Amino acid sequence: MSEAVLEADGLRVAYGGNLALDLPHLALRSGELVGVVGANGAGKSTLVNALLGWSRGAPRVSGQVRLAGEEIGGLPTHERVRRGLLLVPEGGAVFSRLTVEENLTAAEAPADASRRGYSMEEVFDLFPRLRERLHHTGSALSGGERQMLAIARALRLGPRALLLDEPSIGLAPRLVLSVLQTVRRLVDSGLPVLLVEQNVRAAIEVVDRLVLLERGRILAEGPVAAMRDDPRIIAAYLGESVA
Amino acid sequence: MPGWRSLALLAAAIAGFFLPQILGGAAYGALVVIALFAVMAYGLDIVLADLGEVSLAHTVFFAAGAYATGLLATRAGFGAWGTLAGAVIAAAVIAALLGLLTLRLREFVFSLVTYAAAVVAAAVAHNWDFLGGSDGIVGIPQFDLSIGPLSLVARNDVEMWPYAYGLLLLVLYLVARFRRSRLGILAVMAHLNPRLATMSGVDIARVRLAVFVLSAPVTALAGWLYAYQRAYVGPDLFETYFLVLMLTAVVLVGRRLLLGPLIGMALVLGQEKFLSFGGDVDAIILGSVLIIVLAFFPGGLAGIWALIFRRRETAAPAAPAAPRPENAT
Amino acid sequence: MSLVQQLINGLILGHAYALIAIGWTVLLGVARLVNFGHGQMYMIGAFMAWWATAPLGLPYPLAILVAIGAGLLLGLVMQMVMLRLTLEQNLVSIMIVTLGFGHVLRGAAALAFGGTPQILETPLSLVEFEIAGAWITAQDLLIVGAAILVFALLRLVVEHGRLGRTARMVAEDPKLAQLAGINVKRVYLAVFAFEGAAVALAAALVAPRTPILTSIGFEEVIVTFVVVVLGGIGSVMGSYVAGVGLGLFTALFGGFVSPAYTTAAAFAVLIVVLVLRPGGLASARAVR
Repeated sequence: MSEAVLEADGLRVAYGGNLALDLPHLALRSGELVGVVGANGAGKSTLVNALLGWSRGAPRVSGQVRLAGEEIGGLPTHERVRRGLLLVPEGGAVFSRLTVEENLTAAEAPADASRRGYSMEEVFDLFPRLRERLHHTGSALSGGERQMLAIARALRLGPRALLLDEPSIGLAPRLVLSVLQTVRRLVDSGLPVLLVEQNVRAAIEVVDRLVLLERGRILAEGPVAAMRDDPRIIAAYLGESVA
Repeated sequence: MPGWRSLALLAAAIAGFFLPQILGGAAYGALVVIALFAVMAYGLDIVLADLGEVSLAHTVFFAAGAYATGLLATRAGFGAWGTLAGAVIAAAVIAALLGLLTLRLREFVFSLVTYAAAVVAAAVAHNWDFLGGSDGIVGIPQFDLSIGPLSLVARNDVEMWPYAYGLLLLVLYLVARFRRSRLGILAVMAHLNPRLATMSGVDIARVRLAVFVLSAPVTALAGWLYAYQRAYVGPDLFETYFLVLMLTAVVLVGRRLLLGPLIGMALVLGQEKFLSFGGDVDAIILGSVLIIVLAFFPGGLAGIWALIFRRRETAAPAAPAAPRPENAT
Repeated sequence: MSLVQQLINGLILGHAYALIAIGWTVLLGVARLVNFGHGQMYMIGAFMAWWATAPLGLPYPLAILVAIGAGLLLGLVMQMVMLRLTLEQNLVSIMIVTLGFGHVLRGAAALAFGGTPQILETPLSLVEFEIAGAWITAQDLLIVGAAILVFALLRLVVEHGRLGRTARMVAEDPKLAQLAGINVKRVYLAVFAFEGAAVALAAALVAPRTPILTSIGFEEVIVTFVVVVLGGIGSVMGSYVAGVGLGLFTALFGGFVSPAYTTAAAFAVLIVVLVLRPGGLASARAVR
């Protein structure tokens, strides 16, 4: 088992007296695709946001976050990004007023020489559609294309670990599959990915491990093969709260 | 819920009336001005705290009330009731015009337009002879609300106090009613979540206009009384001093607290009267208070109060190990 | 005054307006921020330039630098205080805070410089030319030249090159920009520092035309506001064109109708435009 690229210990997010997230331990290893599933409000987005160091409102966040062994918990968001922790937020986050090309070239280069961002050619190999839409602005792209562009932009920054927040939202089922398969290919080439998904069915098809969150806590976790038949996962499929 | 609460409020209102007597003769002047300017601030309070918009035009309404009073009293011989009506109508009309013009604009453009309107109004008042030019209007007659045999005259601050206080109580009542009214609730909805409000069928533009037009006469009433109190109306009424004064009074104590603007105004004017370091330093103090409250203590004094008390009450819960300095975004 | 003189005056005035407004163009276009202390910062810039020349005796070019430096510092300090509000995009509070700063600046200026009107005398104001039957001074030419230079530079930087792209990313979505590794705080600080420096530069160049008092600055805000909105928020070219246009309008209106009401007239024009086209004349860009 390779070492964890991204690790969080005792990660807690509290709004006032209310604990929105309470994770004793979370680890992401090289070449591993971990899916985080759970109903709305289970804390999935809180998790990825906390890993990146930002939050809405002013919650108290505590715990340690380590990227490639280095503690990044005290760093501001853009610093974590520069060290290789990339988040693709939900909704296909691209700059609508910049063109595809500008979106891709605007990415700041990785902060250290040990990593290399994807070159434009590599990006287009992965997402040929983007080459066709090179000079279109972000607002002119379809939902699926935006999602591709968002992921491509992250890749350009040479991520050590990639977090995807609900990439399937708003996409047609066929596109969802295509995007997730592309993500799988990325993982297979060594990039660790944490995939937050509401679409459990789709997530199960591609992930290595599954984590089920409910009300900010881990209800169950394990290799996907073992989790598939877990009644709690099946209930999550149907959106029923399990606890 | 009648009974004790109403009785207590009544008692407080009556006690307030006797405040200047308790504080001594010199207090009359200060308290009249505090009451007046508090009324002025309440007009802004409705728009800022409830609607969530920054209206920088309320100086115009204040001045409009004063100018209407001055003009009608000196040129047309209107008594205090007439000038009252004049002040209210003038402010409402101007607010309606401004409101209609800015109906479709985004909030910050609205604020810019109101600011510009105030500057332009000031320039007009300075230059237009009809309004007295830079000399203003002098010779405003005595304040006389007499109806029939009932003599309601104010020749000085002492006699002005009941009217100023009465106006203050009236405005407090109106603001409290407004906040419980349908329009008041719609205003808050539109403020907090415009999209949701629209999707619940609220016509936000109309609500904004209505609240704006309603708020103007409140501030104008302060101008009305101020014209009599000072017996002089001039373009200095457009100075941003009044604007900053209003804003500070509204935010200092805390948002949407009924007595907030009153207490805030009392604190600010109190500093100016009793702890003054000269006009310029006072301006620096006033501006700084406004900045500090908004930048660091958005909850105002009430927020600081709550912070102190919350800290005392809650023992450290099963607290997470080391609270990390969070990047405030 | 002849028509030609009025037109020339208008052109010069227009360039002055454009220069005064340029800080806001960047502020609004990049950071979606407003600065109601703009007029007072202009006033401070003017006073700093005067103070550097008259009491301090520095040569004019140095005085301009002093003014720019003061403006830059002021902008920086303001934004540092407001940073939390900026990151929250709390526009209401930002507006009021900058208003508060304006008030403080006015009080401070009155304290430091007193109530006597001052004149900023520059050697260039004394050099006069005649062009096509109209008189202009070298100072006027400096204003025009500086405005064109600054606008050209800005256009270059904003619309091409990494800086501009970074700016546009922050303008569109600061949170997303952070996720792309941009230090958004630094961008905001830089933008506000630029606003301070720019308005101070404008003041140092334009202030020689009129007496400097602690009460000036309000009309400059209106002018700025009109220029920026008419030109299309965030559009560099638009601000330039709108500035020059407004200058011409003001000169002609002032010359042939009434000099006292030029600001009111400008405001009226703005209102008309806003009513007809809420996005401003160059409403190409949709502002959030």
